[in-house]
Amino acid sequence: MRRARRVRGWRARGWPLTAVAALITAVFLLPVYWMVNISLTRPDHILAESPRWFPAPATTRHYTTALSDDALPRALLNSVVISCGVVAVTLLLGVPLAYALARIRMRGSGTMVLALLVAQLPPSIVLAAPLFILERRAGLDDTYAGLIAADTTLTLPFAVIVLRPVLRGVPRELEEAALVDGCGPVGVVLRVVLPVMAPGVVAVAGLSFLIAWGEFVFGLTLASEPAVQPVTVLLNAFVGTHGTAWGALMATATLISVPVVCVFAVLQRFIVGGLAAGTVKG
Amino acid sequence: MRGRRHANPRSTVSLSTRRRRAGYVFSLPGLVFLGLFLAYPLLYNVWTSLHAVRLQELLGGSSEFVGLDNYRTTVAEPDFWHAVRLSLVFTAGSLLFQFTIGFALALLFARPFPLGGLFRSLLLIAWLLPPVVSGTLFRWMLEPDSGAYNALLRAIGPDALGHDWLTDPGTALAGVIFANVWVGVPFNMLLLLVGLHTIDPELHEAAALDGANAWQRFRWITVPLMRPVSVTVLLLGLVYTFKVFDLVFVMTGGGPVDATSVLSVYVYEIFFKFFRFGEGAAAGLLLLLVPLLAGALYVRRLRGEGEAA
Repeated sequence: MRRARRVRGWRARGWPLTAVAALITAVFLLPVYWMVNISLTRPDHILAESPRWFPAPATTRHYTTALSDDALPRALLNSVVISCGVVAVTLLLGVPLAYALARIRMRGSGTMVLALLVAQLPPSIVLAAPLFILERRAGLDDTYAGLIAADTTLTLPFAVIVLRPVLRGVPRELEEAALVDGCGPVGVVLRVVLPVMAPGVVAVAGLSFLIAWGEFVFGLTLASEPAVQPVTVLLNAFVGTHGTAWGALMATATLISVPVVCVFAVLQRFIVGGLAAGTVKG
Repeated sequence: MRGRRHANPRSTVSLSTRRRRAGYVFSLPGLVFLGLFLAYPLLYNVWTSLHAVRLQELLGGSSEFVGLDNYRTTVAEPDFWHAVRLSLVFTAGSLLFQFTIGFALALLFARPFPLGGLFRSLLLIAWLLPPVVSGTLFRWMLEPDSGAYNALLRAIGPDALGHDWLTDPGTALAGVIFANVWVGVPFNMLLLLVGLHTIDPELHEAAALDGANAWQRFRWITVPLMRPVSVTVLLLGLVYTFKVFDLVFVMTGGGPVDATSVLSVYVYEIFFKFFRFGEGAAAGLLLLLVPLLAGALYVRRLRGEGEAA
């Protein structure tokens, strides 16, 4: 009798669904687990007859191998520089543009919003082709600036689309009070609007970082020098040259994934909200 | 600038003029940037597609106007149509499974249960990983000897199920679609979940009181109410899937032979491998048609919803 009630309570609280969801998540994320697993498995155990499900005994050898080559630390640094640059440029250009489109009545702002939606459509490769010619002529090929500019074409339209509705939510009275008190338009944005819209800005910063960190097409086509190439390009080159050195390969893949998971873990709530706002609600 | 009764008229006018001027100043840097790095390159692509541009012209400077010749050459190329077909199969296959699995997961996660939010977030990792990483992972997972998926297949069925998916021209495309479905499922789930939350739970309760079973409620309440969101999600999926490049490039490089050379990979090869810039530009613009069409439908829907609201 008592046990029956306890079982019913367990069910009523939804734990059977939790079990189902846990199983699905485990099966679904098997490749990610496998990446970490292989990166920690001893080399002579990796290509064994049947795959090993646990890295026992674990080894960090693949990480030291991968990092001992100068190429990987260099590429990781490049990716950090490029991604941070993209975040900075996106916010610097995106926040004022979104503010203008959300709050100020201007001629052509409807067309601009439409143009920003359309700007998200072209496949990267279609843009990479002319950028390859134009950046070479402008001397921007093989530079951080050239890569940051190319990546920002992916993040800026999206940032403005996400930030515009957020800015609309800032109470107009706040702004007007500041204006009447003698604050200039720039002061209004910096002191009044920005603090209120902080969650939206954080979401845009996080997503821009993730987009730039994972970007591959521009890195592949606009940079030929390892001195500026992002780590995604390096991983792809690794796959070609060390196709069978799976341990070092998976260690590299894991190192690339760690910042992604960290940024997402910290900004999870903002990012999920921003994503939904940017796509479904327009 | 309505309803400011206490301020005197002159200062109101100057305030709104000041605001408008500030608006133009605020939007200028962003617009100049997008003009230089997005609009101008795309227009330049149109120019390139109308000229005979190869490596020597690129370095030398002048190039001959050839009208629509590059388009004619591209359309006459059997490889181009092969790439179009592959892109269509890749997109249709990916969308079908992404959407179905995503919908099923959304139905599960729409019900409240302990730790639901945690598992939902964990699933999103698959979508957030750089495509180059996912591509590398699936190359390894589908590896014939020690790939985990092949090991699983051999464990549940006959040994013949283990297969070198990515180097067999007959199964390479299926392997790439499989990986792309994995990437796309969480995104579909998340957007459909947002849609499911907008359905009033009282509808389900009322139907249940009237004796409708779970299937009937799903068929006659959830499905019709989810139709607008579903169309939006599928259109977005179409745009995103049609332009996939990284995942395919990393997994197979378009091969074996050209079994997986979807349109984006085809454009890459014409442009960056053979340096036939004019033809590459033309093929690229043809590749742009499908996303533009889907985008036009998407924008029309957004506007429609905006007017209805």
